[in-house]
Amino acid sequence: MTKQGAPAIPAIEVRGLYKKYGQNSVLEDVYLTVKPGEVYALTGPNGAGKTTLIRTMTGLAFPTDGEVRLLGRDVHTDGQRARAYLGAVVEAPAKFYPQFTGTQNLQVHANLSAMAPGGRKISRDRIREVLALLELTRMADRRVQEYSLGQRQRLGVASAMLAEPRVLILDEPTNGLDPLGIGLIHRIVTSLATGGCAVVLSTHHLREIATYAHTVGILTGGRLVDTVDLRARQAAYRFRVDDPLGAAAVLERLPFVRRVSTRTPYAIAHLGGESRVPDALSHLSAEGIRVFEASPDHFDLYEYYRERVEQA
Amino acid sequence: MLTLLSLELRKLFGARSVHLALLVTFLMPLLWAFAPRLSALIQVNLVSGWQLPAVSIGVTIGYLLPLFIAVTVAEMIGAEVAQGTLAPLLLRPVDRTKVIASKLITALTYPFLLILTTVLGSLLAGIPLGFGTFTGGTGLGPGLFVGVGQLSSDAAFAEVLRGSLLSGVVLMPIAALSLLFGVLYLNTAAAALATFAALIVMRLLVVLPETIQRILLTSHLGLYVQQGDITQSLVLLLIYTAGFGLMSIFAFDRRDV
Repeated sequence: MTKQGAPAIPAIEVRGLYKKYGQNSVLEDVYLTVKPGEVYALTGPNGAGKTTLIRTMTGLAFPTDGEVRLLGRDVHTDGQRARAYLGAVVEAPAKFYPQFTGTQNLQVHANLSAMAPGGRKISRDRIREVLALLELTRMADRRVQEYSLGQRQRLGVASAMLAEPRVLILDEPTNGLDPLGIGLIHRIVTSLATGGCAVVLSTHHLREIATYAHTVGILTGGRLVDTVDLRARQAAYRFRVDDPLGAAAVLERLPFVRRVSTRTPYAIAHLGGESRVPDALSHLSAEGIRVFEASPDHFDLYEYYRERVEQA
Repeated sequence: MLTLLSLELRKLFGARSVHLALLVTFLMPLLWAFAPRLSALIQVNLVSGWQLPAVSIGVTIGYLLPLFIAVTVAEMIGAEVAQGTLAPLLLRPVDRTKVIASKLITALTYPFLLILTTVLGSLLAGIPLGFGTFTGGTGLGPGLFVGVGQLSSDAAFAEVLRGSLLSGVVLMPIAALSLLFGVLYLNTAAAALATFAALIVMRLLVVLPETIQRILLTSHLGLYVQQGDITQSLVLLLIYTAGFGLMSIFAFDRRDV
């Protein structure tokens, strides 16, 4: 039983992770924490170590040093229990037995999931449900060798969410998907996170994940060089005004404004939420500042990432 | 465990290499029915259908059966790695030991399956010779093909059954060795070649003193025709099987996939 007020166990905890292949160091001193309900996007240049990190986090690869805990259990020493609530796709496209149908493959995964200590049987209805959710009902009884790249990828996500995971780890989940497929994966990931599932996904599509990830980790040269909290970044609003410097001075005096900057013709303020925008507008108007436009100042993750990787 | 075992057996029966091996081992003995020089080559005048299993096993146990076993068992790991299906399996809450143990059990079953099809094919080919009482031996009992007098069909069946089971036991260490190389190389071709190379090298070690020869795996491949006390050979073959099997389990336990 969890004591009231006790801090929640992180869904994923990576501590001091090192991975070497011979003399070649692939991961160096990686620390990472993902809370339940958080969407964590892992990005970085090719060869940065993303896939190795994901394989080590899921227990497929073993670290040279450090540890990975899923819901408080070490994935390398207590793997069976640690993976009881894990759903993961570590290859793009997801791999299945080509000679079996989509339903048969999911049935194999359902049977294996039930092998968890205290694991419950996954019903055929649940298999049908996830296939329908991923728009694969039509393909359910076809052999996987007949599936397109995108269909395999969607079947991978179906398999990952089959056992109602509390930790979801996806490597390049939108690779090979058309725009509608990408939208579908976004909706599913967001919905799972809303239900309390921690999601880690690796991706190169920065502008795409900026719309729904909560945190972005930038991995380069095997080191996690930065962790960006997108929720804090997206609380900024920009005001197109006739006097940006004057507007910045007005905004700075407001108690709910955390940070102010200017980018002519805009004054940019971190307000802490959309509900503060009318207050800010009324104060600017009261001080004689003419406001032509007010809108969220979207954080350009791509630009930030480029700078960060170049500096590293 | 049963879930994993049934999955492994399903995959085994779905593999092309298994289809081919089962087909060859079943059809090849049929050649004996149309092979006029067979008696001259094995220097035995075949008089009963019960003698054909020994001919088939004798011809294939040296190279063909070990080859089929080495390739298929190596494929149990190598093909899964190549088609990327091993990782999704290990992402489920299953114990790695159970995963590899189920592969090991399936691998150890495979030699018996091949022997079964070999014997069935041989018995089919032996129909023209008949299965009644005959004078001579099955090639798997005392006196081999010459025998020790008259042999009833029941006694002949018992000899064939014993010889077949022992042939399966003889091939078990080869299956376990191939699985070990499969875990070490994670590649079908490399593991199958390594298994075959190991067997050939062991055969070449006849140059070593007899005491060393006695503990070599390849010195006991004729167990299926051996009469009298076979305990020592049997125990040694089982030790080899268990040893290679345990090494596979330990190697797989912390193997990056």
